[in-house]
Amino acid sequence: MEPEEDQIEKAVVLLNAKLLGIVLGFLSGAGLFLATNFLVLKGGRHVGVHLGLLAAFFPGYRVTFLGSIIGFFYAFLAGFLVGAILGAVYNKIATA
Amino acid sequence: MNMYGNREASFPRLLELHPRKGVELRIQIELDPASRGGGMSAQKNSSGERRLLQAFAPLHRSALGMACGLVLGGILAVTTLALVIQGGYPEPNLNLLGQFFWGYSISWRGVLVGFLWGWLMGFILGWGFALVRNAALWIWLAVIRSRAEMEQYSDFLDHL
Repeated sequence: MEPEEDQIEKAVVLLNAKLLGIVLGFLSGAGLFLATNFLVLKGGRHVGVHLGLLAAFFPGYRVTFLGSIIGFFYAFLAGFLVGAILGAVYNKIATA
Repeated sequence: MNMYGNREASFPRLLELHPRKGVELRIQIELDPASRGGGMSAQKNSSGERRLLQAFAPLHRSALGMACGLVLGGILAVTTLALVIQGGYPEPNLNLLGQFFWGYSISWRGVLVGFLWGWLMGFILGWGFALVRNAALWIWLAVIRSRAEMEQYSDFLDHL
C-alpha cells in the first residue's frame, strides 16, 4: 500500500467522460435552441442573418422554429463529442 | 505513525464544524486505519479516505490544458476543413479569426495554423481554469480548517 502522503500528492480529479458529454451536449443544444427561438420571436427584416451561418456546418439548420429543433440535435451531438473527447483525453493524461 | 509523524493521530480524529446557522457537521477521519487492525473497519475507512481524496483532489492542470487544446484545435481545424471543402462560403466567415490568430485563413494551410492556434488557446484556457479551480479549493479548505481550529479552541479560556 502506498504511503498516505504519496496518495494525497498523486490524487487528481477524474472526469466522467460520458456525463460531461451529456451535460455539454444538453447545454449547447439548449443554448442554440433558445438563441434561435429568441431571434424568431424577436422578428424583424432579416431574422438571424449571423446565426443562420451555422447552416454551413449543420446542414438543414435555419433560424425558424423547426430549425431550432434541428439545431438542438446538431448542437447536442457536437457538445457531446466535445465533452466525451475532453473527458477521455483528460483522464488518459491524468492517469498516465 | 501517521503523516504528521506522531502516534496520536492513529486514533479516530474528530473534526467538528459548527457553521453559523447552528447546523452541526461532524466528519470523522481515521488517518491510519491499518494500525488499529480490524479488516472490515479498515476497508470502510479506506473507502472513506478514498472518497475524501476524490472530493478534495485537485484538477490536473496540464491534462486539462492538453485536453482543451486538442478539442479547441480540433474544432477549429474541422470547421476550417469543412469550409475549404465546401468552397463558396458566405461572408462573414471564419476568416475574421485572422484578426486574432496571425496567419489564419480559410485554406489548407489555415487548417494547420488554426489547429495550432486553437490548441494554444485551449491549453491556456484549460490550464488557467484548473489553476483557478485548484486555488479556490485550496482557499476553501483553508477556511474550513481555520474555522474548525477556532471552534476547537473556542472554550480554551474556560478551562483556565
